[in-house]
Amino acid sequence: MTLPSRRAFVTAAMATLLVGCGGGGGGESDGAATGRGRGEDSSPPPSPAGKNVRALARSVPVGLRIPAIEVDTPVMRLGLAPDGSVEVPPVEADDRAGWYRHSPTPGQVGPSVILGHVTVGSYGEGVFRDLKRLRRGDRIEARLANGTAAEFTVSGVRTVAQAEFPTEDVYGDVGRPELRLITCGGPRSGDGYRDSVIVFAELSSSGQGGS
Amino acid sequence: MRRTVLSALALACTAVLASTVPAFADGTAPTPVPASAKPSAEPTKAPAPAESKPPATAPSAEPSTAPTEAPTKAPSDAEVSVVPSGAPDTGEVSTGSQSGGGSGLIGGGAAAAVALGGAAVYVVRRRRATGA
Repeated sequence: MTLPSRRAFVTAAMATLLVGCGGGGGGESDGAATGRGRGEDSSPPPSPAGKNVRALARSVPVGLRIPAIEVDTPVMRLGLAPDGSVEVPPVEADDRAGWYRHSPTPGQVGPSVILGHVTVGSYGEGVFRDLKRLRRGDRIEARLANGTAAEFTVSGVRTVAQAEFPTEDVYGDVGRPELRLITCGGPRSGDGYRDSVIVFAELSSSGQGGS
Repeated sequence: MRRTVLSALALACTAVLASTVPAFADGTAPTPVPASAKPSAEPTKAPAPAESKPPATAPSAEPSTAPTEAPTKAPSDAEVSVVPSGAPDTGEVSTGSQSGGGSGLIGGGAAAAVALGGAAVYVVRRRRATGA
């Protein structure tokens, strides 16, 4: 091996090492751009033409069950925070979901909104840690204070950047009983998450609670 | 001569791998850290229990990153009577598992190891050249 070729070999080897080391420096980024309708786990929101299921009378939710991701949680009531955003459940070990009380109750006409944490700081994972795993057709059951239950079917799951939160899609009028489950998702940025995970669901049936 | 160069290169590779593998092993997944002596800044009080009463305290003491605009009072016949502003902050991150500094450490360690290896190669070659 001549001197120039040795130099070239050593230079190439060092360059390869540097490139190899730099590849993992992305931290928690999943490498995917985020936006409305991101491909990996998003699907379109429910179509306006859905099944005709009779709406339920107003009754606040007291529990939520999602068999596909093994969620069975009590539901508290949430209002508005002083800054105008929606309140979220308290950060505590016994994490639970919360229903936004200015939205319809589950089964009433309109988008009933339920929120939950994906992580609760030092307490670990939140009640909606696996929300993004839900898929179209999965079942969601909201237990109501009057003893009945409203059963919903997932029609879409979207991961969107929090900076581009689709307020109209989540809170806008829909003309039929629907449900929105919301939590955070995507890579962490600073002391929070970059994205929101939103599950859209439609009322499929109603019956006696406690199943 | 060739053996010396290759040995130095192998040494540099080992140093780089030794410095990067433990750093990656730290993991990038959000690992819940057992409750330590973190001062609890979050109020444990639940928000307003009565539906007619506005919430007195925010359930999360985290300063909201966000919304500067006020919530929208919807028309009286709207399905959601008050539309909140911004995205809900439903992801309280544990402060013990930030990874931003980790990548810096990895890069710095790798650069230092490569520089060390290069210096070793240079010194060995100089010594061989002057000794020949």
